[in-house]
Amino acid sequence: MHLFISGVIVAPMVVDRREEILPKYWYNIIPDLPKPLPPPRDPPDAEFSRIDLLRKIMPKEVLRQQFTVERFVKIPEEVRNGYLNIGRPTPLLRAKRLEEKLGTPAKIYFKFEGATPTGSHKINTAMPQAYFAKNEGVEHVVTETGAGQWGTAVALSASMFSMKSTVFMVKVSYEQKPQRRTIMQLYGGEVYASPTKLTEFGRKILDENPSHPGSLGIAMSEAIEYALNNDYRYLVGSVLDVAILHQSVIGQESLAQFEEYGEDPDILIGCVGGGSNFGGFAFPFLGSKIGKKFIAVGSYEIPKFSQGNYIYDFPDSAGLLPLVKMVTLGKDYVPPPIYAGGLRYHGAAPSLSLLLKERIVEWREYSEPEIFEAAKIFAEAQGIVPAPESAHAIKAVIDEALKAKKEGEKKVIAFNLSGHGLLDLPNYELMMKRLSK
Amino acid sequence: MKMLVSYMTLGYPEEEQYLEFVERSVKEGSDILEIGVPPKYAKYDGPVIRKSYKTVSGKIKDIWSLLKETRERVRIPIVILTYLEDWVPTLNDFLAKLYSIGIDGLLFPDLLIDYIDDYEEYVKKIKDAGLKAVIFTAPSVPDPLIQKTSTISDLFLYYGVRPTTGVPIPVSVDSLITRVRILVSNKLVVGFGLSDTEDMRKAMRAGADGIAIGTAYIEAIEKGGVDEAIKLVKQYREILNEF
Repeated sequence: MHLFISGVIVAPMVVDRREEILPKYWYNIIPDLPKPLPPPRDPPDAEFSRIDLLRKIMPKEVLRQQFTVERFVKIPEEVRNGYLNIGRPTPLLRAKRLEEKLGTPAKIYFKFEGATPTGSHKINTAMPQAYFAKNEGVEHVVTETGAGQWGTAVALSASMFSMKSTVFMVKVSYEQKPQRRTIMQLYGGEVYASPTKLTEFGRKILDENPSHPGSLGIAMSEAIEYALNNDYRYLVGSVLDVAILHQSVIGQESLAQFEEYGEDPDILIGCVGGGSNFGGFAFPFLGSKIGKKFIAVGSYEIPKFSQGNYIYDFPDSAGLLPLVKMVTLGKDYVPPPIYAGGLRYHGAAPSLSLLLKERIVEWREYSEPEIFEAAKIFAEAQGIVPAPESAHAIKAVIDEALKAKKEGEKKVIAFNLSGHGLLDLPNYELMMKRLSK
Repeated sequence: MKMLVSYMTLGYPEEEQYLEFVERSVKEGSDILEIGVPPKYAKYDGPVIRKSYKTVSGKIKDIWSLLKETRERVRIPIVILTYLEDWVPTLNDFLAKLYSIGIDGLLFPDLLIDYIDDYEEYVKKIKDAGLKAVIFTAPSVPDPLIQKTSTISDLFLYYGVRPTTGVPIPVSVDSLITRVRILVSNKLVVGFGLSDTEDMRKAMRAGADGIAIGTAYIEAIEKGGVDEAIKLVKQYREILNEF
């Protein structure tokens, strides 16, 4: 049907619901924090300025966004189109069968970031960072990856903008998750098991311990050194505020989707590696003053919340990045090889750390057997196999739902299902062998 | 008139040249002098200022006599920039001494960062000692706190637009100022890594009342002595006079 208005033929407006839900702005929590965010700084008697070094390793626009603190940052049209192209907005679904299974009066909703082509939320910041790098004439980007989700997102984003990519993958994950490696290679990325002999830092680690399992901090150091030596650009997966800024697309969408459900969540939950999926999901709610309880979930085996200190520390093991104030187990901490590779990191993003310190965000830590059980319950009820990282969030959701049952309260619980676990099946198989009775 | 706040490290590079810079910079249009007393750990300063602290440390015979001499040479307000961390145990003495030699005010860059829970108490101490408390803020300071501190800061509110001094991290100076201008009921002076003249004009157009310059002078002195730095003072004064 066409309308005929004053001599011009106009097609009726078809508004794409997806475009309405997809936000036009990213949200930055820094102006709304309860206290000033301690700025990054150089260590005492530094021989070189690590803050200055950022200019050589990060795309200029990414750095600009990191330090130009505005509450709302416009998402470039090309990036919005990119988001639509990878299937954003991702669905916000109700876990009705899980509610029934638990017999809880609570309603449980989850934002399904596993619905992106790379299977996790990581693409939300990889894509804009790659776009900004390409705009500046960069040909090659470098990064590290733990579980492989971030590396996958970078490899795809680089190819989307016709760039090359190199990914330093933590050795233990490289060995546990060969399929992750394959996807990255399929997307055109070069993948190395870190520690490698390609960098001075990697060689040093291998000299001390040739069978070192690697860690996210070490892989990060290698990626930065490699980018510096080759004049490539480094893409930052988590920890820095700019990654959380881009990830706010998750929470911004969720706000609009909850409005459609006519519902306000009471409890918001996410797992924490460096903090970008949790921050991206929860911060827009905090900023909108929606939600009463915010729960960040970490791993019992990597006890940064219960045993970490809130101090200035290096985000990377080699100490090439500026010091930031964060909850940390120390840059030299070697995380045990748990299956949730994305949680094997010594610190948490500065903004999240401050909110934890101020007790605006609560934390929980769960062990591998506990999260395995949670993953199984969720998979049986909803059919989705969660990433082991996301299973940490699910365990907290189940606990809160059972608490609501005990107290007879009709709470609305929302969590970020940051990724699916279909590439973690070998890990699940091992967990089943070890943990099933 | 827009304010030019000129920074110099106490005694840099030598006492004599330092005093020459101070005097001539006032003559050429500095409105306020900000004098840096070298701290043990200049956490929020960039490499150039840190190096200047190294240059003078051990060289200055007596910081008090040099500060007194500075006071006697110029009549405009003098604000001391130093880190609270070094003075916490002897703060009252320090404040009394500054007051006794006629220093006008004090700026602690670490006040809102490392002493956030007690900042009001420290501001009160500074004011009770008869000194002006100039408060340092940055984009990482949340809006309600910028609003609140702007009302209690003396002379002006200092707003450092980059994470450290003298490192040209790419930031949008105008957006950063636009965000806070509406919150600040005081004169707003913008500094930290502001050496690009286009950035200065942007800052003025976005509503800043003045600029604070430091690293650029120190680099100029390194390159061509005091004359070179004074050329910059003149240039910046002219830019400010455009507004």
